[in-house]
Amino acid sequence: MIPEGLRYHTEHEWIRQENQTAVLGITHFAQDALGDVVYLELPKVGVEVRSGQEIGEVESTKTTSPVYTPVSGKIMAVNEELKEKPELVNQDPYGRGWIVKIQMSDPSEAKHLMDARQYGAYLKEKAD
Amino acid sequence: MGPSPRIAVIGAGPGGYVAAIRAAQLGARVSLVEEQEVGGTCLNKGCIPSKALIFNAEVVELLKRAEEFGVRVISEPTYDVTRMLERKQRIVQTQVRGIHALLKSWGVALIKGRGRLIGPRAVEVADAGGTVQRVETDRVILATGSKPIKPPIFPFDGDRVITSEEALEPRVLPKSLLIVGAGVEGCEFGFLYQALGVSVTMVEMKNRPLATEDEEISSLVQREMNKRGIKLHLAVRVEKAAIESTQVVVTLSDGQTIAVDRILVSIGRRMNTEGLGLEEAGVVLGKRGEILVDDRMETRAPGVYAIGDAVGRIMLAHVASAEGKIAAANAVAGDRGHSMNYAIVPAGIFTLPEIGTVGLKEWEAVEQGLKIRIGRYPFRALGRAHTMDEIVGMVKVITEQESDRILGVHILGPHASDMIHEAAIAMRLGAKVSDIAEMIHAHPTLPEAMMEAAEDVHGSAIHLTRRKGPPPPAGRAGDGRQGP
Ligand SMILES: Cc1cc2nc3c(=O)[nH]c(=O)nc-3n(C[C@H](O)[C@H](O)[C@H](O)COP(=O)(O)OP(=O)(O)OC[C@H]3O[C@@H](n4cnc5c(N)ncnc54)[C@H](O)[C@@H]3O)c2cc1C
Repeated sequence: MIPEGLRYHTEHEWIRQENQTAVLGITHFAQDALGDVVYLELPKVGVEVRSGQEIGEVESTKTTSPVYTPVSGKIMAVNEELKEKPELVNQDPYGRGWIVKIQMSDPSEAKHLMDARQYGAYLKEKAD
Repeated sequence: MGPSPRIAVIGAGPGGYVAAIRAAQLGARVSLVEEQEVGGTCLNKGCIPSKALIFNAEVVELLKRAEEFGVRVISEPTYDVTRMLERKQRIVQTQVRGIHALLKSWGVALIKGRGRLIGPRAVEVADAGGTVQRVETDRVILATGSKPIKPPIFPFDGDRVITSEEALEPRVLPKSLLIVGAGVEGCEFGFLYQALGVSVTMVEMKNRPLATEDEEISSLVQREMNKRGIKLHLAVRVEKAAIESTQVVVTLSDGQTIAVDRILVSIGRRMNTEGLGLEEAGVVLGKRGEILVDDRMETRAPGVYAIGDAVGRIMLAHVASAEGKIAAANAVAGDRGHSMNYAIVPAGIFTLPEIGTVGLKEWEAVEQGLKIRIGRYPFRALGRAHTMDEIVGMVKVITEQESDRILGVHILGPHASDMIHEAAIAMRLGAKVSDIAEMIHAHPTLPEAMMEAAEDVHGSAIHLTRRKGPPPPAGRAGDGRQGP
């Protein structure tokens, strides 16, 4: 369930590093806890963000929850498809449900994030 | 008391006609002067027609979502603007006839024409045909209302550059509309037109829409605008607007230019206080042209009262009516002191979804240096809201920390303008937040959200997960906080 090769944040975001770029989304666990996603408040392309900062919000039928970025940099793209189809976050959280792309200013930040095994352990620990 | 006094009321809006009826109920002989139609702005060009049209939008939006409810709609619902406007007009006409019947039953003499004071004890009325009559009176109540502000930088032509009056008569819908001003009126029209399929852009000088409302209400409204694709330009002014062939080209203070089919200027209202012989009669006006009155609604000219939009305090229909009743009581009784209290004025804002508000906003409480607590409850967490599929928004309750008294309540969500009255009566009775929290609320209903928000003030809402750490920071859109 937890894909290898991604880095995970304690707030249940994942990033996929492609050179200087980080693609960011929320994890399967997060989308499952949120329930049906109905809307995403996304940042504007071009804004600078710092790691730990809230960059948007996910609205589901149950709740509203912030999206944090674990890396600093500049928003290069937002997933426009989510405007029409927010449910992609539920259906394909690690694929078509990606949320933003960030041009990282300090790629070393990604090193401090969890890998799939660590995130799995983290989830287990939280559940106990 | 001597023989029943004669009272002349100028203007038959929700201020004037209510004052006239109340004065008649109290035994006065009342003349009511109106140059247009009874009901004033509110009934003919304001509250009622705009809400009639917004309801159309709600009906169509519901139909568009019919599938989600398991209801099959054979063809895509569309608007028939002509029928919509006919329906609106029928509603207005029915209400107008109702007011005529009420005035008649209370023996109020309605005089058609434009009135002006001839000193403080006489009113001259000129009708459309030029006939002039003079009405002698013991007291006067001025209720002449207001009209849209039309700054000269906008080339008003009633077609491409318009005010709210024409915006309520959209015989042909534009493809695109730019609204100058994201206040109450601008936002209501913004949601209405966008729902009708018009591409709406809004331009606002302040840094948030509904800038005088509670800051969280503003951010929720802004998010709903984003969802619907209403484009919002904040903290900019319109510097120029020019009609160029079929379009209007608007230049903003940040240098952007936007070309649209039509622009609606919605930046406030001006009091109708000119050419009424006011100064000559001893009535004093303020800087904005508003009639200065005391708390008894009496002007500086003894025996002359003024109410409603013309006094420029809180420009709402129900405030005009409340002021009208106070003025009538004072005008008839002469000596008995009835005074206006503006502490508790509930109000509705008919965006999609709508807003209900009463009392202090968070920013006001902070500005006044009050120590406050805040409780919130999202409609998302409420069963009744889910049965209606209306889960956007929340109830926000602001209390004074020490006394636990309710200072203000702000709601965005389904039936918010109806729901707000529970908070208003609680505040009027000086209730503590526990009075709402402990009162049994029927299940499943929307006001349960009020109960839960009241409980949340002390972190004990049953249907919210436990608060982690300190309460959410002030000023943040707290539309829920459960989740991972
Ligand atoms: C688009 C729009 C939507 C609105 N929606 C709401 C809402 O949802 N809720 C709300 O509370 N308020 C709303 N308002 C505001 C509300 O309409 C006003 O606050 C209210 O009408 C004020 O009442 P009034 O009696 O003071 O004045 P008015 O309603 O303006 O009435 C004044 C009357 O006096 C007459 N008059 C003026 N001068 C003379 C004269 N010299 N001789 C004879 N007659 C004269 C005018 O013809 C008019 O009929 C809205 C306003 C607009 C424009």
